Amino acid sequence: MKKILLREYWQFLWRYLAPQRKATLFMVVLLLTSIVLQLIGPQVARSFIDAAQQRAPEQTLIWAAIVFILVSIAQQAMNLLATYWSERVSWTATNALRADLVAHLIRLDLGFYKTRTPGELIERVDGDVNALAKFFSSFVVKLVGNVLLLIGILVALSLIDLRLGLAFTTLSLLALVVLKRVRQFALPYIRKDREWSAIFFGYIGEVLTSTEDLRSNGAVPYAMRRFFGYLRNWMPVMRRARVLGDTVWMTAIAIFAVGDAMSYWFGGSLYRGGSVSLGVVYVVIAYITMLAEPIETIRVQLQELQRADAGITRVRELLEITSKLRNGPYSIPSEGALSVEFRGVSFAYDDGAPPSDDMAEERKTVLKNVSFKVEAKHMLGLVGRTGSGKTTIARLLFRFYDPQDGQVCVDGVDLRQANIAALRSRIGLVTQDVQLFEASLRDNITFFDASIRDQQVLAVLETLGLHSWLERLPDQLDTLVSGAKLSAGEAQLIALARVLLKDPGLIILDEASSRLDPATEALLDQALGRLLKSRTVIIIAHRLMTLERADEILILEHGQVIEHGSREQLITDPRSTFAELRRAGMGEVLL
Amino acid sequence: MSRDRETNTPSTLFFIQRLSRYQPLRFTACACCWILYHSWHLIPGLLAKAFFDILEGHPTAGLTFESIVVLILVAGLAKVGTIYGGAITWAPLIFKSQGLLRRNLLTRILDLPGAKALPWSIGEAISTLRDDVEAAGEMTGWVFNALAGLIFAVGGIAILLYVNARVTLLVFIPIAIVMTLSYIARTRLEHVREQSRLATAEVTGSIGEIFYAVQAIQVAGAESNIVAHLRKLGDVRQQMMLRDQLLGLSLDAIFANTANLGAGLTLLVAASAMRTDAFTIGDFALFATYLMQVASYTQFFGYLIRTYRQSGVSFKRAVALLQGASPASLVAYHPLYLRGRLPATTSPINQERDRLNTLEVSGLTLRYPGSEGGIENVSFEIKRGELTVITGRIGSGKTTLLRAMLGLLEPQAGEIRWNNRTVEQPAHFFVAPRTAYTAQVPTLLSGTLRENILLGLHCDNDTLERAIHHAVLDRDIAKLPDGLETLVGPRGMKLSGGQIQRTAAARMFVRAPEILIFDDLSSALDIETEILLWQRLIEQEITCLAVSHRPMVLAKADQILILEDGKISARGTLKELLRTSPEMQQLYIRTPSDGFS
Repeated sequence: MKKILLREYWQFLWRYLAPQRKATLFMVVLLLTSIVLQLIGPQVARSFIDAAQQRAPEQTLIWAAIVFILVSIAQQAMNLLATYWSERVSWTATNALRADLVAHLIRLDLGFYKTRTPGELIERVDGDVNALAKFFSSFVVKLVGNVLLLIGILVALSLIDLRLGLAFTTLSLLALVVLKRVRQFALPYIRKDREWSAIFFGYIGEVLTSTEDLRSNGAVPYAMRRFFGYLRNWMPVMRRARVLGDTVWMTAIAIFAVGDAMSYWFGGSLYRGGSVSLGVVYVVIAYITMLAEPIETIRVQLQELQRADAGITRVRELLEITSKLRNGPYSIPSEGALSVEFRGVSFAYDDGAPPSDDMAEERKTVLKNVSFKVEAKHMLGLVGRTGSGKTTIARLLFRFYDPQDGQVCVDGVDLRQANIAALRSRIGLVTQDVQLFEASLRDNITFFDASIRDQQVLAVLETLGLHSWLERLPDQLDTLVSGAKLSAGEAQLIALARVLLKDPGLIILDEASSRLDPATEALLDQALGRLLKSRTVIIIAHRLMTLERADEILILEHGQVIEHGSREQLITDPRSTFAELRRAGMGEVLL
Repeated sequence: MSRDRETNTPSTLFFIQRLSRYQPLRFTACACCWILYHSWHLIPGLLAKAFFDILEGHPTAGLTFESIVVLILVAGLAKVGTIYGGAITWAPLIFKSQGLLRRNLLTRILDLPGAKALPWSIGEAISTLRDDVEAAGEMTGWVFNALAGLIFAVGGIAILLYVNARVTLLVFIPIAIVMTLSYIARTRLEHVREQSRLATAEVTGSIGEIFYAVQAIQVAGAESNIVAHLRKLGDVRQQMMLRDQLLGLSLDAIFANTANLGAGLTLLVAASAMRTDAFTIGDFALFATYLMQVASYTQFFGYLIRTYRQSGVSFKRAVALLQGASPASLVAYHPLYLRGRLPATTSPINQERDRLNTLEVSGLTLRYPGSEGGIENVSFEIKRGELTVITGRIGSGKTTLLRAMLGLLEPQAGEIRWNNRTVEQPAHFFVAPRTAYTAQVPTLLSGTLRENILLGLHCDNDTLERAIHHAVLDRDIAKLPDGLETLVGPRGMKLSGGQIQRTAAARMFVRAPEILIFDDLSSALDIETEILLWQRLIEQEITCLAVSHRPMVLAKADQILILEDGKISARGTLKELLRTSPEMQQLYIRTPSDGFS
């Protein structure tokens, strides 16, 4: 567990506060003014008291009182503005951080997401960053401001009597050191509390996604049982975190009790010694009483710092995770169909655990020495059982992973040398699982790209034959879409619209047609036919009918190519596996 | 503080009361500690007065200034004791309150029709379950906090009145006026608070969606656009929050200033009296000390009022998540099983009358408001041992039909009869072991494969093995390094689509239901696997209702129901329909004689 040094905090802060230099400066000036005014207050009271003791005219006393009131009003106003400004700065900074964090995370490898639930990530990105927001806004005004105030008071005390100043400087420093130690002791427990919070809400997220499945399987008691299990494990962690968090406060109070006692002792002794007036005794006690608040606030801020500390650590951990893929220099051309070639590609999903024996190694390898080529503008039909490696081929083409052995080439270029963004802009993928956003239909199709005009979107929908469906929607392109309102088939069509909008040179249809009924599929087939003409297509299917328009067929089994050839050839060769499959299919249709 | 007429939610105080009584012993212990703690704040002022009186030569009750010093020390240390007691009782008090709220909300969500369990996106629901509940739970101690503050305030004022009534009144009346004015500002604050919570929920919701859709985003290369969208939402939220905070801060500033204002007023009012010692410096020290406390206590009361109001918004949102259940159920008492044994997941036993003979659906109607989707007046009958297949074009209502029948959505009209007895509550009736259902896109939980298949069901190994075999999952499990104990990642991402579907199938089969119901189970599977699955299924001669377009399945069906625009346009066996129904011919048209599709 690393100890976060102040310097690292500062670096982190600086990155997000630097762009708001002016606002920050303004805030600092307001703050300083407010502190000065606060220090003046007790002095006005002192002159009042001394004047009263010396039986000064009433007019003088009244003036003193009025000045006192004005000073306090001005001080509060400055403080308010300073705090508001710091909130502003904080929000801007943390919004930027949040967006940066999300931007960083969504560019990570898919392997990252296998071990983390979305709920957990939400807790990290939103929860942790929110904790940081409080830290950013409090830091300058509350923390730094109070430190300055503290110094001001100690100086003022020293001016009255050096021993006073020394004693209380020692006490203040002691207080801060002890508080810091106590805080650090509590830190790991606080962190653990946040971890459990993330796990808990990760689980809640899963349950909320699975309500249909849980209900219909009568698994609600099971889901609740697990819920209680998590609560039970979380509670002692949380309790310890809270109680240890409060020990800082308790320590502070014990120290103040000592401080107060000391102040009365000093004050009383000085007065008895005849060196100060009663007004000064009052000021001494007033200033020392004033010490409590900044130290308390610093204490509270340190607690916030605890949360922010834990938050910063976790955010930094996330930011340090990098993609294993290295971007290459080569940019795939932006027009025209692309050719695809696999040369001796072997691949296994790396879950981090080394295989324990040869059998395990064999079981984990998804692709074994796969080689094939698809010319530009050709259509390849990919057939194989579930788990034979078809989806993996799509993922490798997208460069979600790099193969352990061999080369994956698009347009003749090894993807390890390819620029990832350029590559992905030229490949379209349609899968069975379509992710939709709570946003307009337009935003769902264009992925929030405001530069794409409505005409383009409409043209794409028309090509897909969805014009009449679009007309029936209440707000057409502005209709709010959510996963529950659209049928899986309609969601598929949106996925196709997304792809067509990209004008890709290579399209991978991964079992795309499976959710559509044959009649509607016929409609789509026509549209697809037009569009697939000048592009390279890889259709991953397990329905022979889908492969009717393919030029070539590739059959995969257990990650190996067992047959590859032109469709014509394979059909006419009675010994080919493809022909066998078709024959087997025939038997099913007997009426 | 009676009922809020607008929305009919009970007042916040109602919820707070209920939460307070949930853990009576702990609550009382916590209350005592905090009340003591607050009362302790009366002591410093009295000691200050005694001190100055001693210095001026009018000692009280034989106290010397050394004894004052000691008293201060002792009082301080005793205060630490009250805090410790308060802290160890407060943490579990709040945790259990929040636990109770979450338990009640989750139970209600899981009690609603499965396909309509949430009124908002998942991200927003999590935001409510996390943040709104956190705010609401913290209110558990609100009552004794308020009481403690009042004790201090009343005690303090009483003491001051005793010392000098005139000064007390002249100082505290203006203060009271300022406090009232600030209190009036509260309504504006609540309105703003609601908006900022909405904006926050939108941001959380968006972040959630982004993380659920990462692959799609990477495929589309839309990373920057999505982040730009998020930034926009963040900016909107920032505006709302700043407005919210500015108002809050202004209220705080006014409260804080009241104390200094009070001290200044004291000086003003007592000016003449101080010249004649009618009002001593000790008196002033007492007033000043208490007035300094007034600052933090007015803030404290402000905080109490503010959190009361703001938690009102949180309670409202939590009640909204209940979707129609009585608001009181939000705080209904239930055990949390933090100690002892966790609740058992009992496996329901199949009763004799549950044995299916006939299942009749009549007049089932569910039209989505504002769109043309849905089903209308659907009627059919299923007999024991039959395979019934629902088929139709995209959007014709097949999934809606299944969901409406099973109570996963609420139909507008229709009756369902099981063995000639009307089913009153399909949502509670159509569960295992009567029926088992798999949706088009099944989901899994984080956990082992075994857990995901069983989901708490108690069954012997044989039944489990058989279910896995029938789901054609045995091969896949053999290939996995940990077999059944393999941990399935978030949303089952470690498994392929087909494997998830078959796990869901095994989940169904292991419950040995009277009738199997599935929505296009086979869509993620390839031919061979699917054939195998259906073969094994049909061997068992189990009653089955499925959505499918597979010619093989249609051929085997005892009854096919064709849906067109939500209505059953034809029914019969495949042979009959190919002869008589143009729609069937259309749907079947893509199966030329050289293969199946």
